[in-house]
Amino acid sequence: MPLLELHRVTKRFGGIVAVDNVSLEIDEGDAIGIVGPNGSGKTTLYNLISGVYFPDNGRIIFDGKDITFLPAHERTPLGLARTFQIPRPFGSASVRENVAIGAMFGRAKLDVESALDIADHYLSIVGIEKLAEKEAKLLTPLEKRFMELARALAMKPKLLLLDEVMAGMNPADVDRIIEVIRRVKDEERIAVVSMVEHLMHAITRFAERVVVMHQGKKLVEGKTLDVLNDPRVVEIYLGKRVV
Amino acid sequence: MKIRSYKPLLPLFLIYALLILIAVAVPGMWQPVAFFMFYVALGQAFNIFMGLTGYVDFGYVAFLGLGAYGMAIAIKYFSSLGLISILLGILLAVVMSILLSLAVGAVALRLRGAYFAIATIGVNEGFRYLIEGVRLWGGSEGIVLSGLMRRTFGRETANLLSTFFSDILIIAIAILAAMTTIWILNRKMGYALLALREDEDAARVMGINVTKYKIMAFITSASFAGLIGAVAWTLKLTYVFPEDVFNIHYTVEAIVIVMLGGAGTLLGPVVGGLIYGVLKYYLSVVFPGIQLLILAPMLILTIIAFPEGIVGFIKKKGKKSRISYYLR
Amino acid sequence: MVFAENLISNLFYGALLGSIYGVATMGLSLIFGVLRIVNVGHGAFIMIGAFTAFWMFTLYSLPPVAVIPIALVFGLAIGFIAFQAVIRRLVDAPELSTLLATFGIGIFIEELAKLVWGADYVGFSWDIGTLYLGPITVSYSKILAFFCSVLVAALLYLWFTKTKLGNAIRAVVQDREGAVVCGINVNRIFALSFSIGIGLTVLSGVLVTLFVPVGINVYMGGDYTLKAFVISVLGGLDSPWGAFIAGFLFGLFENGSYAILGLIPGVEPFALTRFVAFAFLLIILLVKPTGLLGGGE
Repeated sequence: MPLLELHRVTKRFGGIVAVDNVSLEIDEGDAIGIVGPNGSGKTTLYNLISGVYFPDNGRIIFDGKDITFLPAHERTPLGLARTFQIPRPFGSASVRENVAIGAMFGRAKLDVESALDIADHYLSIVGIEKLAEKEAKLLTPLEKRFMELARALAMKPKLLLLDEVMAGMNPADVDRIIEVIRRVKDEERIAVVSMVEHLMHAITRFAERVVVMHQGKKLVEGKTLDVLNDPRVVEIYLGKRVV
Repeated sequence: MKIRSYKPLLPLFLIYALLILIAVAVPGMWQPVAFFMFYVALGQAFNIFMGLTGYVDFGYVAFLGLGAYGMAIAIKYFSSLGLISILLGILLAVVMSILLSLAVGAVALRLRGAYFAIATIGVNEGFRYLIEGVRLWGGSEGIVLSGLMRRTFGRETANLLSTFFSDILIIAIAILAAMTTIWILNRKMGYALLALREDEDAARVMGINVTKYKIMAFITSASFAGLIGAVAWTLKLTYVFPEDVFNIHYTVEAIVIVMLGGAGTLLGPVVGGLIYGVLKYYLSVVFPGIQLLILAPMLILTIIAFPEGIVGFIKKKGKKSRISYYLR
Repeated sequence: MVFAENLISNLFYGALLGSIYGVATMGLSLIFGVLRIVNVGHGAFIMIGAFTAFWMFTLYSLPPVAVIPIALVFGLAIGFIAFQAVIRRLVDAPELSTLLATFGIGIFIEELAKLVWGADYVGFSWDIGTLYLGPITVSYSKILAFFCSVLVAALLYLWFTKTKLGNAIRAVVQDREGAVVCGINVNRIFALSFSIGIGLTVLSGVLVTLFVPVGINVYMGGDYTLKAFVISVLGGLDSPWGAFIAGFLFGLFENGSYAILGLIPGVEPFALTRFVAFAFLLIILLVKPTGLLGGGE
């Protein structure tokens, strides 16, 4: 049984079909990249999975449970976690508190004291333990992204949805992120989905499978290297070789 | 729970103890202190909703008003029970405020920001005009109880009720509201409210049932407001008029107190309430009638220069020092 | 047939008054549309307009019609000062801050007015005759108020659609970021829109006195603030034209229901009409909660 199953999911905004009849299966411990240019429906897909919107058609099954119309806050405890393209920290709270909030209300469901204690552990996993006391709104955009990753991990998800988490990072930071993702994937069997706008070298280093979105539809899905060499994919990326 | 998280109660109780000492020991200070304590209690109660959730309820005074009516109804119709009618009044005040907060919460808390603010003004005004329009509870003439209270409880008891007992109760309400606040802050609810105040959509995606927590804060805050209305208005003043107890003026005062002291902090409403109470009391002696002219720019200045309020500001500055254990 | 006559005359009256409600709400909607700020102190500016008309008439025997342009200029100036002193610093602040700041401005203006003009109710009488039309008895000044309202709304509409500046404001309402990209100086548009919004509101205070030249008091604004909220929500909150139409409808509704509720024994129709208006407000908000929900890709 797959961990997450999207079955012919469609979402329209007025006349625009943002997500068009998309089906997708993700298993425990998978590492998947979702690639597509701006406006290809990636973010809407994430919003449908995390419950920000409900689809017009189709079903979404998570861990054997139909979550198609489940409110967002009831999905998270089942084992879903996500980051945002533009990070959304709880600004006036400290970095530690931000992460602890994840541990309190995610699948982990810890009490306040344990959540605050374990927050430091997740901060050190992503390498920002020195920032624990800082007010979250004072972080740099990059630090905010690391904090969001720690916050998502503290939720103890079964499925982690990352939104452009590596954009604009230097190679050392990218290495660190990939290392973290690999580790949680192997040790805790977390399925990781990472979304990127541009096909980048980084994605080939951790994604086993890649899904390419184009104009709301799933264009190609397959093993990472096969997809990157697929002529249709090469074409939508302006005929350039992409890796 | 670590004992450290309750340390901020220490300065709070120190302030209360000092105030009570002044009231008892300094002749002529009982009335002024009781006056300050009304504002401290009002700030504490309002802070539980506005401070912790970030929603402005411009119709907040409706809960005080309803509490005042609850007490008035109990005294008027159950005076045969003697002093038990006062207990009944307290109960009725809380129950009526809770019922209204559930009704308003179900409707208005689905709205955000400005829409919520507008809806709450509508509820307050609508309620007042309903009472006047269908001549409920005496309509625009209100309920006057002084004669009845003297006949029922005897002159001395009635006097004691409105001059001493009501003041003591207000102090008790202020302390209870403060303890409720820190209890909330230390629990998951406090963190849920912090998250939703900062970013409601993100909080939802993080697994926080924002509606539940908003309504919980709303009901708690409304019950305290009902208590304050019942005690500080009906019991103390012995009359209730709809145009007084639904006057938006009191909502403004609550807002100023919370913003001045620091929204969402434990000590903020005490500091804000004291500053506001002292200023209002003594300004009305020195410059009668122009308190609001001074308070309005103060509110604007606070919003522009110290959006986090006095306590929030000190807390930020003293982050590294040991003071921070005692501030919240 | 007393009721039918009563209703007709009330509806006629309501239509005239509604046009003034419309103008009195356009400023609120303009400011919300452009700056996303709800001016909670709205009514105080209507009060300023009413007092301007009162003093101009009392001191210089100037009829309210002639005061309209004066009030507009006066309002523009007040709006500009309030923007520069306070609002400018809060454009990007959380909604809470702007709600509280405009609230503070409103109270400040009321208290200042009380200090200068006192807390008494004042009024004046500018009698230019009365129209008798079947069951309807209405003074010409009320009819004049109606035509002035329609004229103001029409001129504003022309200015918005035909001038470059007006179009720039509309662009900002529709898409703030897009307008920046197109080279529109958004800060200047904010200052301008806020000033115009306040100017219109002060002007509408003169129209109010043209309709009811009595009951002028420093605290008269609160009532209009609440009505303006109901009307602007009805009209879609960010559209001045929606507000004008909605004001018209609200006038009809208010006076019509006053006539009908007066038939119920044992109630106070005046208070109950207001109750119905607020119940109505809540229902609209419930059915169409256009709050800041969602957010696209």
